Amino acid sequence: MAFEPLLTRNIHKENPASIATYMASGGYQGLARVLKEFTPEAFVEEVKNSGLRGRGGAGFPCGVKWGFLPKGLDKPRYLCVNADESEPGTFKDRLLIEKDPHLVLEGIIASAYAIRCNQAFFYIRGEFHGPCRTFERAVEEARAKGFLGKNILGSGFDLDLIVYRGAGAYICGEETALLESLEGKRGLPRIKPPFPALIGLYGCPTIINNVETLANVTLIAERGATWYAGIGRPKNTGPKLFCLSGHVKRPGVFEAPLGIPLLELIHEHAGGMMHPDRPLKAAVPGGSSMKILPAANCDVLMDFDSLAAAGTSLGSAGGFVMDTSVCIVDALLNLARFYAHESCGQCTPCREGTGWFVKILTRLENGDGQPGDIDLLAEVASRVEGNTICPFGEAIAWPVQSYVAAFRDEFEAHVTQSTCPLGAAAGRS
Amino acid sequence: MPDPVSFVPPIGPTPAPLGLRTDRPAPAPDPSAVPTPLPQTGPDQVALSIDGQAVVVPKGTTVLQAAAQAGILVPHYCYHPGLSVAGNCRMCLIEIEKMPKLQIGCATTVAPGMVVKTRTPRVVETRKGIQEFLLINHPLDCPICDQAGECRLQQYEADYGKGFSRFTEEKVHHPKRDDIGRHVKFDAERCIKCTRCVRFCDEISGTHELTLYDRGDHTIIGTFPGKPLDNAYSGNTVDICPVGALTWSPFRFKSRVWFLKNTPSVCTACARGCNVDVATYRNRIHRLTPRVNMEVNRYWMCDDGRRSHEALYERPRLERPLLRAACGEGPQQPGTRDEAIERAVTVLREAGAEGGASQGTGAAGGSAGVVAAIVSARLTLEDLVMARRVLKETIGIDRIVVPPHEAGEDDDLLIRRDRTPNARGALIAGIAGPDAGRLRELVQDIAAGRVQGLVVVGEDPVGDGLIAPDALRRLKAMVVIDWWRSPTAEAAQVALPACGYGEHDGTVVNFEGRAQHLRASIRPPGEAEPAWRLLQSIGQACGLKAAHDSATTILSEAARSVPAIAGLSAQSMGTAGVLLKGA
Repeated sequence: MAFEPLLTRNIHKENPASIATYMASGGYQGLARVLKEFTPEAFVEEVKNSGLRGRGGAGFPCGVKWGFLPKGLDKPRYLCVNADESEPGTFKDRLLIEKDPHLVLEGIIASAYAIRCNQAFFYIRGEFHGPCRTFERAVEEARAKGFLGKNILGSGFDLDLIVYRGAGAYICGEETALLESLEGKRGLPRIKPPFPALIGLYGCPTIINNVETLANVTLIAERGATWYAGIGRPKNTGPKLFCLSGHVKRPGVFEAPLGIPLLELIHEHAGGMMHPDRPLKAAVPGGSSMKILPAANCDVLMDFDSLAAAGTSLGSAGGFVMDTSVCIVDALLNLARFYAHESCGQCTPCREGTGWFVKILTRLENGDGQPGDIDLLAEVASRVEGNTICPFGEAIAWPVQSYVAAFRDEFEAHVTQSTCPLGAAAGRS
Repeated sequence: MPDPVSFVPPIGPTPAPLGLRTDRPAPAPDPSAVPTPLPQTGPDQVALSIDGQAVVVPKGTTVLQAAAQAGILVPHYCYHPGLSVAGNCRMCLIEIEKMPKLQIGCATTVAPGMVVKTRTPRVVETRKGIQEFLLINHPLDCPICDQAGECRLQQYEADYGKGFSRFTEEKVHHPKRDDIGRHVKFDAERCIKCTRCVRFCDEISGTHELTLYDRGDHTIIGTFPGKPLDNAYSGNTVDICPVGALTWSPFRFKSRVWFLKNTPSVCTACARGCNVDVATYRNRIHRLTPRVNMEVNRYWMCDDGRRSHEALYERPRLERPLLRAACGEGPQQPGTRDEAIERAVTVLREAGAEGGASQGTGAAGGSAGVVAAIVSARLTLEDLVMARRVLKETIGIDRIVVPPHEAGEDDDLLIRRDRTPNARGALIAGIAGPDAGRLRELVQDIAAGRVQGLVVVGEDPVGDGLIAPDALRRLKAMVVIDWWRSPTAEAAQVALPACGYGEHDGTVVNFEGRAQHLRASIRPPGEAEPAWRLLQSIGQACGLKAAHDSATTILSEAARSVPAIAGLSAQSMGTAGVLLKGA
């Protein structure tokens, strides 16, 4: 059965980002339906029933998250949209913001209605100059049409939206660091509990949702939970944007129902391996902060539960593929450099551990490694894991642990041969 | 009674004998042990188990605080009871049953029935990991670090350290010996980024000078470019720095801390009376640091107070009695104590006699208006009581003036506009409170020649610009008791050497009416002795029947006759002081 594109239905149209294009294909009718037919609480239930799980990385059920908001508290509630997409290999939210901003915006408005929020914030990655302009234009268009502002579509529901640009820190994609940054402070993750649903932005109850999650809310608004829940696999419902990069012929963003096999994604959607003589060596299906799967384990389904069972995670679905030309130590060093650069420096294990990873891996890759270094690497990772303020620590500890576990021979070869067997060190700048 | 002048071993918290440290990792509790049944609690209390001990604490207490209450010290760097919780050092990670991850004790609130384990192998392993992380980029320069000996890195390294480093690469380099503030130096390489100093400037001083710059292992504490760490309380950042990153410039390289002896005492730089530890080595005060007293100064003190002992070593000391023939004329000559006391009495008598007073009652006989005294509110209560008995009741000086010393306004934290430590004490002693008006009148009368004799105790009206040196020539008698050779002392006919700060015992009463015990921590130089003893000798020469040998007996005698201090004693003041009734 051919899958009907839902999240990417408008991206190939002319002027895909304009409100005229969007409305010509039935845009904002879902919002109208929600405002007319649903009470806020009923729409929360609808989203719960759809089974929609957050697309930001953790895969937490969206409706359940909304249900955590305290009741009867005399404080404003805020919706913050997490558009700080910065994970290496993940570029799906950017596509939505650039090509179909109204799909996102409609979801934001419907979600704000569901959680009784009158002020939403769109926190967008600082480097996204173009997407940010596109989105700001979309907000103006929506405001002009009465989808934002007072008494939206005559429902009595008011909503305003502020677009806020980050300053270029990966950590601000962590939801509480995002809140700090939004409040004008240094983007440092907060200690949890309290969770943002209770004490979030400016001390008020706050929901933080990913861009793609909210685009999915638009689909639920349009066609209902029952239809939505029929897409994908049980407990892993709905369409998903999968990013694929690395050694494939056609890297890019592909829409498919949750549960598509990874190999199908690589070989059919992404056109197969880039060089016919270099087979698949390993893939990281979920994004750079997730665990690696060696080629032998790549026969997996791309959904939250299947990948968890395979010992990795769907994450933000920013997958990348490595062929046999890749030196795993070099790949991990490259990754570790990113995390060392982006660690916020707040808590000890992450601040010191990320820098240490880089130093040990540099030594290994340059052929200066000692026999104990591989165990040291794994031990340092185990001391970072679980001991940090936010999940950033795991975002590098897991890759380190899994790369070492899956390719220990290759790490050892670097030590015993006192050089990189694949010569990657020489080629690296 | 011990002689207060002679060196008294300081009273301080006794350090725990070696090997009895309570925060040393203990063997894991036996899992088969029967859990302690938790007691019933009141509505605002929570009962929980920590390492098998049942603990009852008020609701809202954190696990770290609850453990401390049970005598279990959970190691920590960033947590400070006077600051908000940052939770960044991760040293206080502990195990709580039913929670898969370790939790930080500083930010976890107790819950009924919670089962906390602070010494399991998993916890100890994690602490070892944190300790190693903190040291990989640390310069390990303990031999030249002033913090050595009171450094948490050293303390916890003894418990959780490897003893060697597995880190073989070049460390991250940062500025060293950075003059981050007027009195504070910053070594960024020693810093563990616990942000205690940042939080102090945000939450306590409210001056917001410090922040974090950069990220990852390049994170560094800094000030806004070009703006120094300069507030009235900057020294506290040094105290709360758990490592050697922030050091107090005046103390740098002065003494290893293990040579220092701390005497619990009180700061005398203003009417607050912040509780301090006076750190001494080889009869020299090296630093004052705040001592916790939640009723007075909490954990803090101001920079002025912290530097108040420096005057002892910056000003010329008066070490033995100095005498001269007439006021303002000729050089002062050293004399013996007996000569000086005798001369003081003689000149005061002459001044009183020449004023035409009737003979009889006191030695200087009815010297009202002719002989006056300036007595300081910086003296102790015991000094002031003796001043009343001798100057007023024995010699008959009715005109005793206490000069005010005020600067600025009371601030929101500690500093009082009244810069004398014992103005309340002067009132209680039956002298008078500081009075600018009476001081002005006295100064005018001296200038006009209407005063013949002057006794000055602990004040420097000449140096303060109140009395012109010319006006002093018109005095027939001038007796000064002070700890340094002030311009006033140098103008005196008789200058008697008194103890300076930290050299004598006594009582001061702060602005709220809290009586606090000032303790001797060093010996006075030369022949200097407490002002009360010098005053007593003058009094004895004039017929006073008193022979106190220590400040203690003066206080106990006064405590019997003055209702405001009824029952007051060193014991009742303890180290925390006591709020006087009716204060």
